[in-house]
Amino acid sequence: MNPLPRPILFLLLTLGLLTPRLLAGPGTEAEVRHDLVLTLLSHGPERHELLHQLARSGSKVAASVLTSWTRGEIYAYRTPGGKTIPVTLEEQEDAKGLARAIRIDTGAVLVDAKGKALKFDDSTLDTIDTDMRLRMDIQQAIDVLSLASPVPDERRSAAVKLGNSGKMAYLPYLEERLTEEKIADVRRTIEEAIATLKLGSSDPSVQIKAARNLARLNALGAVDVLTQFVANKSADPDALAAARIALRSIQEHISLVNFFGTLFRGVSLGSILLVVSLGLAITFGLMGVINMAHGEMIAVGAYTAYLVENIFGSGITLPFFGFGLHVPGLHATGSFYESNFIFAIPASFVTAAIAGLVLERLVIRFLYRRPLESLLATWGVSLVMQQGFRMVFGANNVQVDSPSWLLGHFSIDDVMFGYNRVFVVGFAIAIVLGTWLLLTKTPLGLLIRSVMQNRRMASCMGVRTDWVNMLTFAFGSGLAGLAGAFLSQIGNVGPSMGQTYIVDSFMVVVVGGVGSIVGTVYASLGMGSADQVLQQVLGSPVLGKIIVLCFIILFLQWKPGGLFATRSRNLD
Amino acid sequence: MIKKLPKLLGVGALALSALVGSARAEDTVKVGVLHSLSGTMAISETSLRDVLLFAFDQINAQGGVLGHKIEPVVVDGASNWPLFAEKAKELLEQDKVPVVFGCWTSVSRKSVLPVFEKDNGLLFYPVQFEGEELSKDIFYTAEAVNQQAIPAVDYLLAQGVKKFYLIGTDYVYPQTTNLILYKYLLLHGVPIQNIGGGLRKGSDGKVMSAGKYVPFGYTDFQQIVADIKQFAASGDACVINTINGDSNVPFFKQIVAAGLSPSDCPVVSFSLAEDELRSMPTRNLVGELGCWTYFQSLKTPENKAFLKSWNAWLATENYPGVVKEHRVVDSPMVLSYDGVYLWKAAVEKAGSFDVDKVRKVLESGTISFDGPGGKITVQGDHYTTKNVYIGETKADGQFRILKTFDQVAGAPFILKGLGVQLAAKGM
Repeated sequence: MNPLPRPILFLLLTLGLLTPRLLAGPGTEAEVRHDLVLTLLSHGPERHELLHQLARSGSKVAASVLTSWTRGEIYAYRTPGGKTIPVTLEEQEDAKGLARAIRIDTGAVLVDAKGKALKFDDSTLDTIDTDMRLRMDIQQAIDVLSLASPVPDERRSAAVKLGNSGKMAYLPYLEERLTEEKIADVRRTIEEAIATLKLGSSDPSVQIKAARNLARLNALGAVDVLTQFVANKSADPDALAAARIALRSIQEHISLVNFFGTLFRGVSLGSILLVVSLGLAITFGLMGVINMAHGEMIAVGAYTAYLVENIFGSGITLPFFGFGLHVPGLHATGSFYESNFIFAIPASFVTAAIAGLVLERLVIRFLYRRPLESLLATWGVSLVMQQGFRMVFGANNVQVDSPSWLLGHFSIDDVMFGYNRVFVVGFAIAIVLGTWLLLTKTPLGLLIRSVMQNRRMASCMGVRTDWVNMLTFAFGSGLAGLAGAFLSQIGNVGPSMGQTYIVDSFMVVVVGGVGSIVGTVYASLGMGSADQVLQQVLGSPVLGKIIVLCFIILFLQWKPGGLFATRSRNLD
Repeated sequence: MIKKLPKLLGVGALALSALVGSARAEDTVKVGVLHSLSGTMAISETSLRDVLLFAFDQINAQGGVLGHKIEPVVVDGASNWPLFAEKAKELLEQDKVPVVFGCWTSVSRKSVLPVFEKDNGLLFYPVQFEGEELSKDIFYTAEAVNQQAIPAVDYLLAQGVKKFYLIGTDYVYPQTTNLILYKYLLLHGVPIQNIGGGLRKGSDGKVMSAGKYVPFGYTDFQQIVADIKQFAASGDACVINTINGDSNVPFFKQIVAAGLSPSDCPVVSFSLAEDELRSMPTRNLVGELGCWTYFQSLKTPENKAFLKSWNAWLATENYPGVVKEHRVVDSPMVLSYDGVYLWKAAVEKAGSFDVDKVRKVLESGTISFDGPGGKITVQGDHYTTKNVYIGETKADGQFRILKTFDQVAGAPFILKGLGVQLAAKGM
């Protein structure tokens, strides 16, 4: 059944007739495909040998075919003439569940004698089987192949795998790659992998050098290997000493990374808390409205981001109280589509501000002197809004994809900075600055402050307090909308998402001191950092949260007015 | 006259219902459906109600069970655990149903269990759970731990994974599953430092809890993902994820932001099936793993026929509250469906609806059904034998099947056995 009878194939291999071309570097695609077919249809030791040679080809085709093979997606098709052709099936199926077959030897669609494409159900074809040992061989061939992948991340992860394989056979591949590699991050990983492999050498001088290299590289991934090495008492004493020094220096590096990492995570969590509660600091803090619908204003912002994303995409049909409301899409692609979040931010502010404006006109303005009633009324409004979201957007959460420029991260000396987390820190700074400028540097801000300090006096001075109240509430709601737009990037968007944030928001505002924007800033940063530090120290998110809550209770016993209690001279 | 109208109507309705009742009583059998149709669990459980109604219609169209048409009695547990017990009591004592299909959460099952035991009822339970329970009145079509978590770990071990990070939501299912996995991994030669997430020991020095736990609805996974990243830095690591519900969204977004790709460190999740993936950003999950006893992407003739007739039913049915658009099928739904057919087969073999007779037949170990996920057989110990599949998430929210374990028998009590084996090895 083999295209070449086994003895002849074996002979060719042993004579090295196939080898020179493969060693000469990457072959053409046709050559690689030819070798793939040989590998697939061979048996026993020659398969192993062929795989090693395929690994050197650096071919993408080889990587993808071998990957399909480990998944059992390579089939043996037997021609009426009795030949065996290895094929894989296309993902696309027709109505009967049949798919076209792709020949491994040519990459073309398999056709019958009349040139018509043959279609198969995968259960009617025999898979070319793999066993565990073979799969490990294939996997390592794939890893060597990915070492030459155009994607840096794949090269990096392949290097990690080869470094930890403990097989010296991979050293030449890694060393060869190191001479070509341009990206610093990947270079470092490859060096790490080489040093890790060399630690397994039998020569103590090589081991000592490897340990020193690992220490120099601060190789986080080598901790396991070094720990094992140190535990092995029969090793050379000098090598042991070098390994111990390396281990200690890496562990010191880890604690440093953890320290700065925790610091950054604390600041970023604090920024999220700040973004979420700043709106409430205005509506509750400054205006004194116990606004239980604050969370739903956040949800309005998040749903706006969802809508904007869909408008940039293929549009969306909403069951709008019995009518199918169709919002057409722009079918944007590429960087224009990716920019949808930039448009979502102001849109969220505007929609949430409008929602706040309506809420203020319809409900809140009747309740300025009755804070407890405003609690009940806004709570009711929040329930109504949640049900509204359910009716329009469905009870399930909706998907909001993050733009690719917010995914990913960069590292400075192994401390990881997620783009979305860096973004939220900047976002928080921007909106606090904006709020501060609005309140202190604009005529509107002056009016707001005067009305909040003494409504009647301001009214006597000719300020239209009614109008100022309305705008302030809308502004606070708009800030909540901004928070929602950002939260759609890191969390869930659903009808009851507001409930997740409302408690935290009130806590931040109360701890910071009702009425004080500065207090809100300090409180959110303090609470965020405390949470992250405790989590790091205790190792349990649940315990950390409990301790923060207890601490807040004690703190409020001591200072009921919060961090920055406002002292005002007004008498109401 | 107008005042009397409601009364008259009432009398009329009563008479009518009595008439209809007597006409039907001859050739119908009442069957209980006990799921949350409102409250937090409704999102998941209504799908099970739908598939049960579909199964009943399918059976009725073929002539029913023993010549009796199935008449479903659908009650709403409302995500309220004590209410589940009340509703179960109502089904068993008032409606006198010979069988109930229902429950999703383990706590709802624990809540109805005493009712079923007292009233001698029959319950088919369809959703993956922690095992460690055996009741004469419950048949578990659900995945036991050795039909989901353990095959997944076996698969990963065979793939050469050496380090396992355990993370879950803080309640009974993740805690029990992770404890079982912790012991299982130790037994399979994974050293203790290669099991990540942390261990908590009791006062007697025994490990009580393994893995990292977060509360329901948790959103800030920065610290945990940084921890995973450090854990996975040496390669050959994976994450065993038993996080439940929508906390998975921030978790996976953070995993992606940290650059942990499935080839570096795959995440295998036990609570995310096709139905859950509908409301998740699947772009962030491509290549991550799942393990269930059914995937919609299975290409068996049984599954193709099932999907065809399910879609046809959705298009024509007119039950109130059944959503018709964007429906998918997943393992809990198929196991509910299988339960109905297993019960039907047992009833037909017993020749009676009598609970004791049906139970006896089911316990004989001879009742099986060629369901959409493959053959499923009821074992003598009330668990079921079925195929287990490992799948990889695709961008469209479906799974590409990577590995099949044929006919895995469900094991009710694993924890104790593993403990004994570990003790025998002196660990």
